[in-house]
Amino acid sequence: MKKKILVVDDEVSLTHMIRRGLEAKGNYLVMEENSGRRAITAARSFRPDIVLLDVMMPDLDGGSVAAIFAEDDDLKHIPIVFLTAIVTKEETQPTGSVIGRHTFMAKPVNLDDLLTCIEDHLGAGR
Amino acid sequence: MNVIDSFVENWGNLRGGAAAIAIIAIAAFIASLGLLVHWTGGTAFAWLHLMYLPIVLSAALFRIPGGIAAALAAGLVIGPFMPLYVLEEIPQQTSNWMIRTGLFLLIGTFTGIIFTWLTAQFDSLKKAHEELSQSHIELRSAQMELIQAAKLESIGRLAAGVAHEVKNPLAIIQLGVNFLDTTLSCDQDLKEVLDEMDRAVKRADYIVKGLVDFSRSDELELKTQNLNPIIENALNLVGHELRKGQVTLETRLDTFISPVAADRNKIQQVFINLFMNAVQAMEGGGKLTVTTAQKELSRNDIALFSAMKQPFSVGSSAVMVEITDTGHGIPENKLDKLFDPFFTTKPVGKGTGLGLSISRKIIELHDAMIDIRNREEGGVVVKLLFKTNQGSAS
Repeated sequence: MKKKILVVDDEVSLTHMIRRGLEAKGNYLVMEENSGRRAITAARSFRPDIVLLDVMMPDLDGGSVAAIFAEDDDLKHIPIVFLTAIVTKEETQPTGSVIGRHTFMAKPVNLDDLLTCIEDHLGAGR
Repeated sequence: MNVIDSFVENWGNLRGGAAAIAIIAIAAFIASLGLLVHWTGGTAFAWLHLMYLPIVLSAALFRIPGGIAAALAAGLVIGPFMPLYVLEEIPQQTSNWMIRTGLFLLIGTFTGIIFTWLTAQFDSLKKAHEELSQSHIELRSAQMELIQAAKLESIGRLAAGVAHEVKNPLAIIQLGVNFLDTTLSCDQDLKEVLDEMDRAVKRADYIVKGLVDFSRSDELELKTQNLNPIIENALNLVGHELRKGQVTLETRLDTFISPVAADRNKIQQVFINLFMNAVQAMEGGGKLTVTTAQKELSRNDIALFSAMKQPFSVGSSAVMVEITDTGHGIPENKLDKLFDPFFTTKPVGKGTGLGLSISRKIIELHDAMIDIRNREEGGVVVKLLFKTNQGSAS
């Protein structure tokens, strides 16, 4: 059974590219969402195994989305990986670093590094 | 012009040998005139008018005492002869040597007063000129600081915004390249194109990183520590580049330097940047020398950093770091632009032009100073001065 990934970023082209890459290289089912608020609704219906979340989004920022996830009994167990431009590659490992409760990866992210990070969290093969 | 300047600067302030020579010359002149009058039996009486010359000169050089002394000397010299000649040759003349000596004294004193007043005026003007020059230098320095600060502030704001906005498109290109690399057939040309694109993304990302560093460089985590381990660590990190560039390294790190308040990562970033600049300036190899030393600052030490805000005073203690290379140096007309954001002397793709701007910003945040200049023997010397934190643990 395919693992499900929810990709949330206000940059439509970026969520497209992540979906294409992940589905081509790994055994994943990817859902795209381009709004922080809609991501919460999408997560409740899609039930992802992991969420790739942008931080700076116009309607609701990634930190607030993560806080809502943490308070929701149905969502709080879902691991969140922040894909963000607010950290640099020097501050995080190429495959992500845990800062606080979540993993952070610096944009622009390499597809192989992203897959490694997801696999680390899910323990699933490509 | 310099001789005249020097004379104007020093006349009236003769000391030691110069004063002795002047006194001897004036005395000799006075004696010669007296002897001339004496030997000519009074026929050279008109030459006595020349006696005013040494009196005026003496007054000019030694003020009122000089004028009076020369006048008395002149009176003494002509004293034994004057009444005789005057009375014999011009008997109707009522003047005698006392009157003439009185005139000498009058001229000597009056000239002395005038020169004292002129000297006071000159000194006052000179002081005013020095103060104005100093104010001009300070004003110019403050103006440069303001321009630099305004540049850095606007660039910093711009940098943070651009960095964030550019990272998303870069991420799209990066993932696109990775995706194509995975899904397309193994055509060699295509692979090379994708590799080229991948390198371009990394280059752009490197530039963005510079912008992010630039916008963040005002946040320091200061700790009291020794600079030597930071320098050694930075040298380790660029060790590969040194070997690749066939650069030999000489370090003379003074083990007794005082600790300084520094943000380890930021200062290390500065050193790495300076070391990399040196390596890149020594194409085909060269020598990099890094020294640290404890300094008690002299006026000359501080004057080196005239283009910067001056957090140091003469006699204060500081740690000086010197980084010298044997590279091609910096064109003189570009030296004053070195710290401008986006200014680089490196080939396209080799530098972002932000390294030295960031370094200077970091250095200023540490209340330290940086100076970069060409060496006479070739290459560049970078000097950094850090305030010491004596008495604190390293």
